[in-house]
Amino acid sequence: MQDLRFGARLLWKSPGFTAVAAATLALGIGAASAIFSIVDAVLLKPLPFIQPERLAAIWERNPSAGRESMFVAPANFREWQRASTAVESLAAIQDTHVNLTGDPDGRVVAEELRGERVSAGLFAMLGVRPLVGRTFHAEEDRPGRADYALLSYGLWQRRFGADNAIAGKPIRLGDRSYTVLGVMPRGFRVLDPGVEIWVPLALDPDDVRASGLRYLEVIARLRADATLAGARVELETIGRRLEAANPALNRGWRPEIVSLREELEGRFEPALVTLMAAVGFLLLMSCANIANLLLARGAGRRKEIAIRAALGAGRGRIAAGLFLESILLALAGGALGVVLAPLGVWLLAHFGPAEIPRLREAAVDGRMVLFALAVSVASGVLFGCIPAIQASSAKLNAALAEGGRGGTSGAAGRTIRSALVVFEVALAVVVLVGAGLLMRSFVRLRAADPGFRIPDILSFRLPLAGGRLAEPGRRASFLAEVQARIAALPGVQSVGAINIMPLGGLSPGTSFTVAGRPAPPPGERPMALLRTATPGYFRTMGIALVAGREFSPSDTAQAMPAVIVSRSLAERFWPGGTALRNHLIVDNLGGREAEIVGVAGDVKPEKLEDEDWPTIYNAYPQAPAPTMTVVARTGPPPPALASAVQQEIHRLDPGQPVADLRAMDDVLGGVLAGPRFNAALLALFGCMAFTLAAVGIYGVISYDVSRRTNEIGIRAALGARPSDLHRLILLQGARLAAYGIALGLAAAFALTRLMANLLYGIRPADAWTFAAVSILLGGVALAASYLPSRRAMALDPVAALRHE
Amino acid sequence: MITLRNVEKFYEGGYGRTYVLRRISLEIKEGEFLTIMGPSGAGKSTLLSILGMLDGAWTGEFEFFGHQVHRMKPRDRVELNKKYIGFVFQSYHLIDNLTVYENLDIPLSYRNIKSAERAAMVCDTLDRFHIVGKRDLYPSQLSGGQQQLVAVARAVIANPKLILADEPTGNLHSSQGKEIMDLFKKLNEEGATIVQVTHSETNAAYGHRIVQLADGWILQPAATA
Repeated sequence: MQDLRFGARLLWKSPGFTAVAAATLALGIGAASAIFSIVDAVLLKPLPFIQPERLAAIWERNPSAGRESMFVAPANFREWQRASTAVESLAAIQDTHVNLTGDPDGRVVAEELRGERVSAGLFAMLGVRPLVGRTFHAEEDRPGRADYALLSYGLWQRRFGADNAIAGKPIRLGDRSYTVLGVMPRGFRVLDPGVEIWVPLALDPDDVRASGLRYLEVIARLRADATLAGARVELETIGRRLEAANPALNRGWRPEIVSLREELEGRFEPALVTLMAAVGFLLLMSCANIANLLLARGAGRRKEIAIRAALGAGRGRIAAGLFLESILLALAGGALGVVLAPLGVWLLAHFGPAEIPRLREAAVDGRMVLFALAVSVASGVLFGCIPAIQASSAKLNAALAEGGRGGTSGAAGRTIRSALVVFEVALAVVVLVGAGLLMRSFVRLRAADPGFRIPDILSFRLPLAGGRLAEPGRRASFLAEVQARIAALPGVQSVGAINIMPLGGLSPGTSFTVAGRPAPPPGERPMALLRTATPGYFRTMGIALVAGREFSPSDTAQAMPAVIVSRSLAERFWPGGTALRNHLIVDNLGGREAEIVGVAGDVKPEKLEDEDWPTIYNAYPQAPAPTMTVVARTGPPPPALASAVQQEIHRLDPGQPVADLRAMDDVLGGVLAGPRFNAALLALFGCMAFTLAAVGIYGVISYDVSRRTNEIGIRAALGARPSDLHRLILLQGARLAAYGIALGLAAAFALTRLMANLLYGIRPADAWTFAAVSILLGGVALAASYLPSRRAMALDPVAALRHE
Repeated sequence: MITLRNVEKFYEGGYGRTYVLRRISLEIKEGEFLTIMGPSGAGKSTLLSILGMLDGAWTGEFEFFGHQVHRMKPRDRVELNKKYIGFVFQSYHLIDNLTVYENLDIPLSYRNIKSAERAAMVCDTLDRFHIVGKRDLYPSQLSGGQQQLVAVARAVIANPKLILADEPTGNLHSSQGKEIMDLFKKLNEEGATIVQVTHSETNAAYGHRIVQLADGWILQPAATA
């Protein structure tokens, strides 16, 4: 206790040292705690379901066709449900969009909502209870009887005034009335974020066509005594049996089961682990800096320690006292860090990509404070042990003798201090190489060609199905009218529409065959993405037309079906030749023959890093999609036209929802959000690492110059010119940096391999990044040594010789 | 060889100038062994620093081997130091984290001498001072007398014309001190000019004449010992 009081008093009496050390530590602990709260929310906390370790997601895969984690065909979902013994229950989900067209009070403010059609048993299987009302009963999940809905907490607040009596009230979705059964708790989601409404899936076992399409996401609860590996083996067996029983649907296809945690968080884990490692390194750098400060301080306290030893204090007691002082300092830094952490958490949670599950739930809580406390104590142990041992084990009789004979000592802790700086520079190299790789990767990604011209495009989604537009002909004419009106707006250069925008996702897809060539069996047919586009779409998007023509008004429902294929598809089936005027049989277009009238450049369907996906575009009137995305190329900035566009559509139909009205740049921004977040955060950590390394080198060199004053005087007396002294000190800094950089490059070479799947267009051992970081840190080492070296040059040799 | 005329050294303070040296005029001939004596604070070490080109803040005239030192830039004075002067200090001033060999090499490293030649000179000196066996030891592993022996060896390794010794035996017991002074005597006989600062009458007896300083003034004309 006495040691504790003494330590606290000493820290209090050195406010400069205490403030610098605590602030350095606070930055490290604050950053580590903030990232921890994100990692905790996303990776560590159990999923908000009952016994989440028993939950899994099941997909289908076809390795021979290069397809992994694909949607599930309803026919297979039913078979798994029937045949699996490892699975206790299964539920399916279909992603959908629905139009909310009427509130319970009859008010009409049409809005497109992201929704999910779900098996009735999903909520019971997850163990989630609604906030208001109840979830679906089994009998409500049947074709023709599924007019029930559950609201998300956000939708309930936003559109229904948090009405506690909402259960049982009717709403209109599209042209049908639904009964609201309840409201799900805040933050509830299963696989996808942003879902606002759930309706029963109502699978129809008699719908043969739908049963053979793959469009379901499947969630499973394993039996208590089953394991994931066991379930995988069993599903593999079932998959083989299904392949034999229904080769048309299942040739080459197998079930693929992963834990729900892996499914939700797996792809974010590398990025979060990388960030956690980066802050860990920053914290270690902070500790190295403080250890150096303490070593320097310990050297100044040698006499005090010698006196205490002379008065009877044992080595252990002295070390414990110094150690306690370090822990106190660490706790002070930790407390400051906890004060800073909420800001970091807020910034991360609000500016992080929305796709990261539970990111928004990250908060300062008891777990984070406990983490900060543990990290503080660990830091205190880390940076306190070397100085404590070093100071307490020094030859105490030398404390007075040292320097007394005109030597240049004080070099006792010099090796340790230098080693700490080498260690610190090595850590900085690792962090900076990581940051550099992510930044270069982001720049490459940003510069990747999406296959179309992004600037000056305004896009919005028009849900067209249902109500007055249930009939495809009316839908087509409504869309044509919308396009005509928008095209007439001042500043609009061209207009087109497509069902799924580039960067909008992979589905839907289709199998197809080339007419006139032997047709492979159904399960082995080639696959392509299927898109429905209107005349003017390719011109508006700036997608290169390699051959042939765009769709034209003559491509009507009655005309010969026309398709445009992507360059990758054309090159695969007609290498070196022309695809034009050949015919395709597209299974999802009813198996009709369609003539290839054009070949278009490839576009990125989902992510900028995607490979080229073979794509078939058909003319809208010949296969009208229920939802279309209209694109307009504008002269003025796209947002300036947003309200005019909305007004034109509502003049045509006040009840028509207009969703996701935004510039294409924003779409790209959303796609780049994840990589940008990672790169920006690591760049910030890189800056911190850079600063800590500079401060570390400066501290050690500066302290060393002050300890070597006498030596510098001797060298001057022996003929050293100021430039010799300048070089001596600069070289010392450069030598430390060189060791640190060499060590850091080796460590970075080993560690950055773990980041491989976060990188686009560069290798983890990118020579440019490694070289740039080395030069940068070499430069900072010289810069940090420059000031102390100037001081050495300016020393008066006579005074320096007298300095002891 | 060395001529000082009206050399003065002072510090500006709140109450005016504080003089350390006043109107020092002194002539030192080549091959001479001069002793500077006086009480503490008399200005002995300051005068030695001026002679060694370590102190440039003084007034007056200073000729050194025909060079007008008072008109020279600091950089050129350093060159004179490198070319002509070797220093020996009371507290040895060896560099602790360098071995004996490395300590001897320091003056040579500042004199544009090729490394092979430097190595030969260091080995010669180790041999000449009978400290070959100590070449890889650090100063802390040597006795005071051995350390001062190394310091003297370091002072003469670059063949200086002038050796400046500031109380060279101050930290040594009498037998060690005698060895060092005998060494100085020998170096002087070999041609080196030596200027020593000392409180010891015995050490002063090794020189040719004594200059007495008090409160910055030369008290009397240089006396022959």
